[in-house]
Amino acid sequence: MDNRPEFDYLFKLLLIGDSGVGKSSLLLRFTSDTFEELSPTIGVDFKVKMVTIGGKKLKLAIWDTAGQERFRTLTSSYYRGAQGVIMVYDVTRRETFTNLKDIWAKEVDLYSTNQDCIKMLVGNKVDKESERVVTKKEGIDFARESGCLFLECSAKTRVNVEQCFEELVLKILDTPSLLAEGSSSVKKNIFKQKPPQNDAATSGCC
Amino acid sequence: MKEAAGKEKREEMKEEDEENEEETLEELEGFDDFTLASSWERFISEIEAVCRQWLADGPKNLLKKGADCLGSPNNLYKVKSELKYGMKSYCMEYFFEISGSGKVVEWSIDLHNLQLSFGVKEFLLIAPISASGVVLDAPEASKLLSAVAIALSNCGSIWPAFVPVHDPSREAYIGIQNMGTDYTRRFEADRIGSQVPIKLMHLEGLYELFISKFVFSMVDFSASLFKVHFTMKLTYRTPPYDDDDGIQGGESEITESDGNSEVDNHSKTQWDDDCPWSEWYTAEDPIKGFELIAIWSSRIVENSLEMAELENASCHDAEKWLLLPILTPNSNADSKDKMTSFASQLHLLVNALNVSFEAQFMEDFISVEKASSDNLKSTPIPPPTVLDRVLKDLFNEGEKISNYSKSEYQNSRAIKGAPFESLFAQFCLHSLWFGSCNIRAIATLWIEFVREVRWCWEESQPLPSMLTNGSIDLSTCLIHQKLQMLAICIDKKVMVDKDLHKSSGGCEEGLQFKGYPSQVSESSDIDEKCDSSRQEAHHGSKINKSASDLKSKSLLKSTKIESPAQVRRGSAGVVGSMMLLNSYQRMHAPDTQDAPIMTEDMHEERLQAVEAFGNSFSFSAQLEKDVLSSDMSAFKAANPDAVFEDFIRWHSPGDWERDENEDDDKLRVEGYDWPPQGRLSQRMSEGGNSWRQLWNVSPALPASEQKPLLDPNREGEKILHYLETLRPHQLLEQMVCTAFKASADNLSQTSFGDLQQMRTKIEQLYLTMASILKHLQANHLKDKGELIDDLKRLCLVFEHVEQLLILAASLHRKLLSAPRLSKAIFADYYNFYLPRMGTSSVGNADEKEFNVRQPVRSSERQVVANMFPPPTANQSWRKVLSMGNLFNGHEPIYREIIFSLYDNFGEGQYGTSGPRSNHREIETHRMYICGTSNDLQAALSVTSCD
Ligand SMILES: Nc1nc2c(ncn2[C@@H]2O[C@H](COP(=O)(O)OP(=O)(O)OP(=O)(O)O)[C@@H](O)[C@H]2O)c(=O)[nH]1
Ligand SMILES: [Mg+2]
Repeated sequence: MDNRPEFDYLFKLLLIGDSGVGKSSLLLRFTSDTFEELSPTIGVDFKVKMVTIGGKKLKLAIWDTAGQERFRTLTSSYYRGAQGVIMVYDVTRRETFTNLKDIWAKEVDLYSTNQDCIKMLVGNKVDKESERVVTKKEGIDFARESGCLFLECSAKTRVNVEQCFEELVLKILDTPSLLAEGSSSVKKNIFKQKPPQNDAATSGCC
Repeated sequence: MKEAAGKEKREEMKEEDEENEEETLEELEGFDDFTLASSWERFISEIEAVCRQWLADGPKNLLKKGADCLGSPNNLYKVKSELKYGMKSYCMEYFFEISGSGKVVEWSIDLHNLQLSFGVKEFLLIAPISASGVVLDAPEASKLLSAVAIALSNCGSIWPAFVPVHDPSREAYIGIQNMGTDYTRRFEADRIGSQVPIKLMHLEGLYELFISKFVFSMVDFSASLFKVHFTMKLTYRTPPYDDDDGIQGGESEITESDGNSEVDNHSKTQWDDDCPWSEWYTAEDPIKGFELIAIWSSRIVENSLEMAELENASCHDAEKWLLLPILTPNSNADSKDKMTSFASQLHLLVNALNVSFEAQFMEDFISVEKASSDNLKSTPIPPPTVLDRVLKDLFNEGEKISNYSKSEYQNSRAIKGAPFESLFAQFCLHSLWFGSCNIRAIATLWIEFVREVRWCWEESQPLPSMLTNGSIDLSTCLIHQKLQMLAICIDKKVMVDKDLHKSSGGCEEGLQFKGYPSQVSESSDIDEKCDSSRQEAHHGSKINKSASDLKSKSLLKSTKIESPAQVRRGSAGVVGSMMLLNSYQRMHAPDTQDAPIMTEDMHEERLQAVEAFGNSFSFSAQLEKDVLSSDMSAFKAANPDAVFEDFIRWHSPGDWERDENEDDDKLRVEGYDWPPQGRLSQRMSEGGNSWRQLWNVSPALPASEQKPLLDPNREGEKILHYLETLRPHQLLEQMVCTAFKASADNLSQTSFGDLQQMRTKIEQLYLTMASILKHLQANHLKDKGELIDDLKRLCLVFEHVEQLLILAASLHRKLLSAPRLSKAIFADYYNFYLPRMGTSSVGNADEKEFNVRQPVRSSERQVVANMFPPPTANQSWRKVLSMGNLFNGHEPIYREIIFSLYDNFGEGQYGTSGPRSNHREIETHRMYICGTSNDLQAALSVTSCD
């Protein structure tokens, strides 16, 4: 009883999208609540954050991939076992939006090994409202089409950044198969259909 | 003779009716003592009590109290009670319907035999209980029936009651029904089990038999005036299929280890020859044939002549056609030699997995000293000839594949196995059928398999059934990933060898991993010869592609403006019209190394290294850094005068920001803008930019001279090491996954028409497989015993789907031109079979037979008729036809007819032919006759006014 893991679930999340849309900036904002100029990601970056969402202690391992095409074959491996994928585009650059449709969404289907993996569409840089070229409605439509969650946010002003990760995680918590994978307890036997482990021990202390 | 007996019985019954109670008692005294009088009475009142209870309860309550349902389609139920009389026990059963419309549906298939025979709905049946087959003779039966009749009349019930006579196979019954105060109906059924009189083989004779039942009592009438209602149901059976003549003798030998069994097997054609599974085994046709049921609905016949004509009537005149497939019984389901199928072999493979944990290496299972248990030593291994044949099949040159075939079932990919028809998948399928798929056979095959793979590697021969251009699909099993990687390594090795051969002595020698070694030397010169097709073929980044826009005209001009200070090396051509920033030269895209491919274990290693860093602020994987650094070096070599900004403009154009309004003061030299305008993006120009740092330390080196990102010699050797030292259980786990997947992939290619249920079932099977198989190949196995049990259950699930699919295929091909019909029959069968699927092994003993008959539409009749080809001379010679109603020359296998005569009792014995009055029309006589020319059963009900 005492050596209970220090978290209830470990979830693997993945950030994808064209170079320069602000993936690294979003992650930095989420993990350290700052905004600074970062070098373009080389290959992949990785951060861990402990959060309490929905009364559960969660360890989030967030993988920040490079948008550069040159790294794409390498990054494909990071899709493996991810419970959530955040697809980011820049609301001021249309091609970053169309590339999500044409390239990135297909990559998810191709490389994700997780049938029920949750996808989230995120339009970044809404602080640059005057330069916006992709409307919110277009975002919503695309999200509906491809069965994603959707949010618009800004890494610079931190608008919606927290919500973005939170909603994704809540949805994962809602999906039993993903939950089972992320669970720190042992795997279950599908023939015997034991009820899922009750996490009563974890109280929502904060 | 039978008629006479009937008459007698009727008289007997009259005698023994309720008013003659005492007489009955006296009779009984004859063979029991004086206490019997009271026991007889007690017996009657006991029956009465039970009947009263049942009457009071009514069907609804009886149902609640737990009446037995007699099969699902009909709503017939029964309750029973045991009674004792003297030394004998009797069982009295009350059969009733729950939601019946009240009318007996003509030829409804799910009628109880007694309902059909006598045209009744609910009824009582009373019979002696006996383990030793004690039966009632005629007088006993009459007595028993009279007891019931007394009891029923005492409680005012109008239920008909029946008592069996003689031994059960004779299906002889007598019965009685009290129909209110006026009428009594009496029943009688009997059978002629052999030597049916010729007269009774024909409709005409049967008609006259029926007429004779009432004509004698109405002497003044000639038969021709009776309006006899007649209805008929004929059952035909399709003749055996020609190709079925020889029963598959070879089947059991397929798994036998003698080499020529396959030859035998292929010498005759099987029904499933063109089905996908026939590559591996031959299935028994689950559909032996069809029964066609043709129904002539009720019509009025007035004389024997009409009946004779009816006997010549064509089946096409029947109002209704129904079709029922005759299924091959799964008789050997429980015996040890279960039907051979993928499921049976998968089961064996799971057993092998179970054993595989016992040894460290596959070799251990074959070597005599190391074999752990004695019974392992004795498990047979197929002889070398069979081994040779399998290896030849696996490694034969020939079909080069351009892509792994994709299953049309999406969920196939969810199983971590090798793609269908790839080398390892083929290996797994062969293993299933190699010997008895025991661990020793598998070990033998695997060791030889790896030996062949090594040979391909040493000899730089392409691996069969493997792609060389593919990336590595991490959703496949590791062995496949490794083989995939090996195929790529072999390909690269071949390239290098060719390259060495071609440009021997050239300065560009070395490792070259682009697919175009012959052109390296050209492109290392200044780029005039750069042709667009070469550019097109280059499958590097988009930067290279944009270079192909170049027109040949501008190519010529480019020579004039170039004056490279240093030697340019490793160029793949110029990039559009881009110029370098600080030197008046065109920008060249470099040849780059392919990004290294990795198998899942390599990724795993990297991730572990990464995770060891923990929460480090800025981590970048070394490998990607190597790739970027390699690109930088190559770019430097191809553009000796380039600066960091130039590299960014080429590699990450998004980070080069141009001002659109600065167009005026550009120096234009023959179409080229120089110097290019713009600046680095903010993130690229920050002080601690990691890209610039990397740029500063990357030496100028063409890709061909760089340390390879992927060393094919080293990686290839590592892969062989993996294959040669693979732990048996790791091999078997991957084999189990792949074998399940490949077997399902094979089966799912079967064409079975548009059957949504089947499709869904297959998709579900994949999901079930995925959810169980995912526990294999995991880092830590769950409890082994539990896992093996799960896998065995999975084999059962698989078996069910496999059997269902084979049936679907058989049905589909037999009813190809009547898709609606085959779909409907399949749906019926599916609904029948589905409840059984989850439970136990295929073909359980107490299974009810499938008996849903599907109505045939008139547009489909021709298709069905074609299943009855006129018999060959040989066939017709064998059979003496005697029944008439031939269908394409085939006699019905079963004929059922019902005659009935109605009368207006209210107007005296024989009604007028005038308009219908308000009097009740009563069925006075009814006769049900069924059977063939050598087995005839008849059941008569007669209503009379007492
Ligand atoms: N105005 C504004 N700029 C942003 C925002 N988020 C990121 N940026 C800027 O966009 C540029 C790219 O951001 P990154 O986070 O490096 O982009 P990335 O998606 O990680 O790019 P790659 O690593 O190349 O795939 C940087 O200059 C950021 O300062 C935002 O919300 N608003
Ligand atoms: Mg980044």
